[in-house]
Amino acid sequence: MNNFEPEIVAFCCHYCAYTAADMAGSKRIFYPPNVKIIRVPCTGKVDAIHILKALEKGADGVYVAGCLEGDCHFKNGNTRAKHRVTYVQKYLNDLGWETQRVAMMNMSAGMGERFAGTAREFTEQIRQLGPNPIKIAARNPKEQAAI
Amino acid sequence: MQQHKDMNDQQYNGKSVLVIGGGVGGIRATLDLAESGRNVVLIDKSYAIGGLMTQLDRTFPTNNCDLCTVSPHLSESGRQQHMDVMPMTTLENLTGGSPDFTATLVTQPRYIDINKCTACGECAKRYPDWVRFTPGLDPRAPTCMRYPQATPYAFSIDMDKVTDIKKLQNICKANAILPDDKAVTKKQSVASVVLSVGADVFDSTCLDNYGAGNYENVVTGLQYERIMSASGPFQGDLARVSDRKRPKKVAWIQCAGSRGINSKRDVPYCSSVCCMYALKEAMVTKERFAKEIETTIFYMDMRTFGKDYENYFDRAQNEYGIRMVRSRPHSLVEDAQTKNLTVTYAQEEEPQCHTESFDMVVLSTGFRIGEETKDLAGRLGIELNRHHFAQSDTFNPVQTSKAGVYVCGVFESPKDIPETMVQASAAASMAATNLPAIVTDQAEKEKFLPERNVSQEPEKIGVFVCDCGFDIGGVIDVQKIVEYAGTNPDVAVAQAVGYGCSSESMAHIEKQIKDHQLNRVVIAGCSPRTHETKFQDLLRRAGLNKYLVEMVNLRDQNTWAHMDAPKEALKKAIKLVQIGISGVRRSRPLLDNTLPMSQNALVIGGGVTGMNAALMLAKQGIQVYLVERAPALGGLARSIQKTIEGGDVGAYMDDLIKRTMAHENIQVLTRSIIVDHAGIPGLFTTGIQTGLRMTYLKIEHAVTILATGALPNRPDEYLLGLNENVMTQIDLDTLIEDDTDKIQGMNQVVMIQCAGSREPGNPNCSRICCQTAIKNALRIKKTNPDADIFILYRDIRTYGFQEDYYREARNLGIKFIRYKASQKPEVKDSAGELSVKTHDFILGQPIEIAADCIALSTGFIADDETTEDLSMMFHLPRTRDHYFLEDHVKLRPVDMSVRGFFIAGTAHSPQSIRESVNQAQAAAGRAVTLLAKKEINLGAAHARVDSTKCASCLICVRACPFDIPFINAEGYSQIDPDKCHGCGTCAADCPAKAIQLLSFEDDQIMAKLDGLFERYN
Repeated sequence: MNNFEPEIVAFCCHYCAYTAADMAGSKRIFYPPNVKIIRVPCTGKVDAIHILKALEKGADGVYVAGCLEGDCHFKNGNTRAKHRVTYVQKYLNDLGWETQRVAMMNMSAGMGERFAGTAREFTEQIRQLGPNPIKIAARNPKEQAAI
Repeated sequence: MQQHKDMNDQQYNGKSVLVIGGGVGGIRATLDLAESGRNVVLIDKSYAIGGLMTQLDRTFPTNNCDLCTVSPHLSESGRQQHMDVMPMTTLENLTGGSPDFTATLVTQPRYIDINKCTACGECAKRYPDWVRFTPGLDPRAPTCMRYPQATPYAFSIDMDKVTDIKKLQNICKANAILPDDKAVTKKQSVASVVLSVGADVFDSTCLDNYGAGNYENVVTGLQYERIMSASGPFQGDLARVSDRKRPKKVAWIQCAGSRGINSKRDVPYCSSVCCMYALKEAMVTKERFAKEIETTIFYMDMRTFGKDYENYFDRAQNEYGIRMVRSRPHSLVEDAQTKNLTVTYAQEEEPQCHTESFDMVVLSTGFRIGEETKDLAGRLGIELNRHHFAQSDTFNPVQTSKAGVYVCGVFESPKDIPETMVQASAAASMAATNLPAIVTDQAEKEKFLPERNVSQEPEKIGVFVCDCGFDIGGVIDVQKIVEYAGTNPDVAVAQAVGYGCSSESMAHIEKQIKDHQLNRVVIAGCSPRTHETKFQDLLRRAGLNKYLVEMVNLRDQNTWAHMDAPKEALKKAIKLVQIGISGVRRSRPLLDNTLPMSQNALVIGGGVTGMNAALMLAKQGIQVYLVERAPALGGLARSIQKTIEGGDVGAYMDDLIKRTMAHENIQVLTRSIIVDHAGIPGLFTTGIQTGLRMTYLKIEHAVTILATGALPNRPDEYLLGLNENVMTQIDLDTLIEDDTDKIQGMNQVVMIQCAGSREPGNPNCSRICCQTAIKNALRIKKTNPDADIFILYRDIRTYGFQEDYYREARNLGIKFIRYKASQKPEVKDSAGELSVKTHDFILGQPIEIAADCIALSTGFIADDETTEDLSMMFHLPRTRDHYFLEDHVKLRPVDMSVRGFFIAGTAHSPQSIRESVNQAQAAAGRAVTLLAKKEINLGAAHARVDSTKCASCLICVRACPFDIPFINAEGYSQIDPDKCHGCGTCAADCPAKAIQLLSFEDDQIMAKLDGLFERYN
């Protein structure tokens, strides 16, 4: 697992986090390429199912990035997203997964540094946790049987 | 940029409005004019537009980086048809008269072809001395101006400094360097001119007592902004200039160079913005760097007179613990070793001097009109006032001394961004009246091919990958991506296209779509935020529905961000392209919802604001319904006689009412109230009960302007209403006009400021009371020079040029005595003899003043009942003290959050007649930009309910932030596509998955995940 490179999905809202990611790029602030962004109009659109499906399909970590609290372009989509992330975390906990595999982030459109910083920290956190348990299970059918 | 070239030909056939100065005000005016269908030319002497605001780190009162909010509008302006932005351009002269001017414009050579420059920055990186990019302390762009459309996103060459042009040409991959570029002179036919040239920031180096320019740790407010800014000299780390260490103690000195009497270095007026920006800088210092940093503001009067600014001041003191010291420090001395600064100051309540050491001192410097602007005024032939700002009309603040030439922003008088935005819209609105709107010709819309029906076709995808010069192609091998994309069986065409957004490549892509009958397109290049609409238009031209394109962000979110790891960047690029391909497979043709727009306007409130707004709209051919609750037009302004400048309010109001009543496009409905309301922006229906019989009337309108005003406050204190000689300033105003004998009989007059304002119940400043008190005091002095007048105040807030009247009052011997909120004056009535007892800080003891008349400066209070009724009916937000709350306090001060609603006058916040007129014009102008669209485009991204799945559980009804879903007669949730904002919250919350957000449907999101992890879907 030494050269484990996590695959990370970031659901980013159009108005803030996605723009912040563009900003990080235009300021040439480097962050790990592990993060792949899926753009949504508002983090309020991100369903618990989307997060769980991403994990099921093989994401090692998923985060939802929206506007700063109180600054949501659609009033409160980001606080709803936060509740859903918390819900998914509880659910993961019940499954015996690490809850840190999913997270909610907030940033304004101008915060390129914050985008890059959170991408870095989150990637590092997932690197520490190791691969998504589903992937391990798929690779090791015996081990799976042993459980 | 593209349109700069395209526009020239057609532009010069017709007349334009010329906007001079491309700061936020100029940009706002330009956008308003273009959106309302007027050709407009924006010139700016600098090589990039944006002005002063782009140098600010954050703005009050939100402490946000608000330029991020305006940039999407600018990005839209990249597509605006009627505008031409000309940087590095100045006005040489203006001949002719309104509305037939001819402007001679001179554009300096940029030595870069902005149509070719991709802003890759290679030239600036290699030869930083030769290339100009950004203002401020640092050669890097302020973060927010990195939006490609925000300015011409191109560099310019400082030819004087270039020693070897060949080297520069070699480094430019886009071949954009033009060594032989020349200045170009053009004649432009102009109907009206908007001046938004702003002002210079005072150069404080002449303030030797503060060591400005000599002491390293003494900076100006603007320099401090740059130091805090992420794009500033210390990359956003707060540090002292002398040792790069974070300061532990920072002081601000207010009024540096303003409100002074030393004519060699000070200006007498107040710069209006410095109190707020000092508070902001102090708050941001604590917020972003360290709570422990001690912040102190030395001030003369705290002038937080704007909307909700008093709350901001309270927060600064109470929540942030910013120390306020009322004093104008005498001098600063630098310690040679530590470079710390010792401030010497005295306070009025104590006899001795204090000294205190600080790590850093910020001088709150204000505005000055520079020589260039004075020259420009000379060339235009407009008059300047004694402070060299543009002289403007008392009742029409955007009108200069020359017909057809309008002014806005700081050049009119010192002001902050919201007021600049208001005036910019007002000036644009006035300028538009000289030029009829261009009717968008139907032919232009119809030049698109009819959309091909692709529903029965198997997916046939075209993938086009940009190399964007070095920006993508220099980091990753574009050919590898093309090869990879081609291995998808349904990808019919995969190609590299160089600069995908160049007109050449666009034409090529269009041809490929037609030749290969492609029905889905992936563009892998830059950000969809900036270029999606461009490629959507391309698809329309090629006969495809515009929602069949997917953009993959290979540059901003890949090669720019992973330049350090090209191998990984290539891997990621391939995955991103696959996400795009998988996603576009699931995209469906969608229809933008459009509806024809009504061309009527409803103006609620028939005071000075409502009438001005109605007239502005009526002049442009809009049918206006002007609804007034009272039996006659006029409102509160009818009870005011004079303005502080001496303008005759009565005569003005008579004329205004006459013009309003006479206008054929205005239907005046007095004794009328609003009773019901429905519809969507552009097509509202509002029910009104009108006349003595309360006849019910239904009117249809596209826009609504709220001008319902505020109420004169009558607080229950200081014996108001109990003694006839205790009166409000409005009563006194009438008395001065009507009863000269009574005024002449007065020996002593006491005025008490902030009566019923800036205290619990009405916590904000009423803004107009300081000027009103001084106005009335000066008028009493004129009638009765021997009268002794005492003005008891907390802070004198004579912002801008009102400071002149404050000084005049002091020179005439009017006494200003400060009191504290915790120690208010007491009014006594001993058998009809009135007196006021107050603490005198200079004497250090209470004093008692006998008074023949006590005038209370009571200001305004929100019309709670009216704003509550209307806000319920129209779903509009209000502030905590019950004024209407605008959509964006900084950048959209007269737009409401519900589209089609605008706010003006004292229903917005306390303000003077002059300021109300400005807002009325601005609201009308903003309304016209909406009306000019003629049709309502509702977009395609709206939520749709599948009634077969809906269980009517009400979750969507509760989840929607805008209260749009409802359970219809058939018992299912219904979402009106005309009202849906498209956030998708309901779709995510729906437990039955009965709701889908079009263009972001669940299967599209899943397909993208498949693309990332499994490739095929």
